[in-house]
Amino acid sequence: MSDGNPLTPAAFQVLLALAAGPGGRAHGYGIMGFVAEVTGGEVQLGPGTLYRTLTRLAADGLAEELPGEDSRRRYYRITPAGRAAASREASLLRRLVAAAGDAGLLARPESA
Amino acid sequence: MSRPVGLVPHLFVKDVETALSFYGRAFGAVELFRTVLPDGTVLFVELAVGDARLLVSQEIAALDALAPSTIGGTPLLLTLETPDPDDLARRAVFAGATVEAPVTEMFFGERYGRVVDPDGHRWALTTKREQYTPEDIDARKPHEV
Repeated sequence: MSDGNPLTPAAFQVLLALAAGPGGRAHGYGIMGFVAEVTGGEVQLGPGTLYRTLTRLAADGLAEELPGEDSRRRYYRITPAGRAAASREASLLRRLVAAAGDAGLLARPESA
Repeated sequence: MSRPVGLVPHLFVKDVETALSFYGRAFGAVELFRTVLPDGTVLFVELAVGDARLLVSQEIAALDALAPSTIGGTPLLLTLETPDPDDLARRAVFAGATVEAPVTEMFFGERYGRVVDPDGHRWALTTKREQYTPEDIDARKPHEV
């Protein structure tokens, strides 16, 4: 499904949280915590968005649910296809951020 | 002022499973979750269609929430944007849709066609090319439908 299509922001954030986790895996609360921490609380993935995003990523073969003993603490792992998709998105974002820097959007405010 | 952040069609159908099968085969819809009543009635199913959300429910006569075939038509046209409307139309027809308007180049700069799904919901399938300015489109528009 996600054959080179751009990822939604939520999909990218979840894949990023998985890629950053040990062994490319994380559980739901871990993903929400990671995203909140990295964005300084600016992005809060609610449980509903997280569940929908993970289900969609799994259907697209970008992430997979790991069989676990505790159904309340489900673990997910990024797949090679998920890593490739997240990598592509990260490269795109890097180009955009570089352009934002050139445009002066990332300039630190001069001390008064 | 609070600002809407999404627009989600909620379709009522004669039979949810038949509809889900169609949306899956035709549009690659993925079921995200469903809410089932204790008696087994599927209250609604949330689907992902591309990046968009779609809700599907069994028709509920008591609430006057009826499927198109019960009403005898629909006032709503659902427009699906896709890179390849020809392919999507082929898949829709293969899954049981009928062609209302074949996919063709339109004056507004899109390749566009319409199909009717087995429940009677109407879908437009179109590219989003945007190579015409509003002035171009205005100059190209037909004088009547």
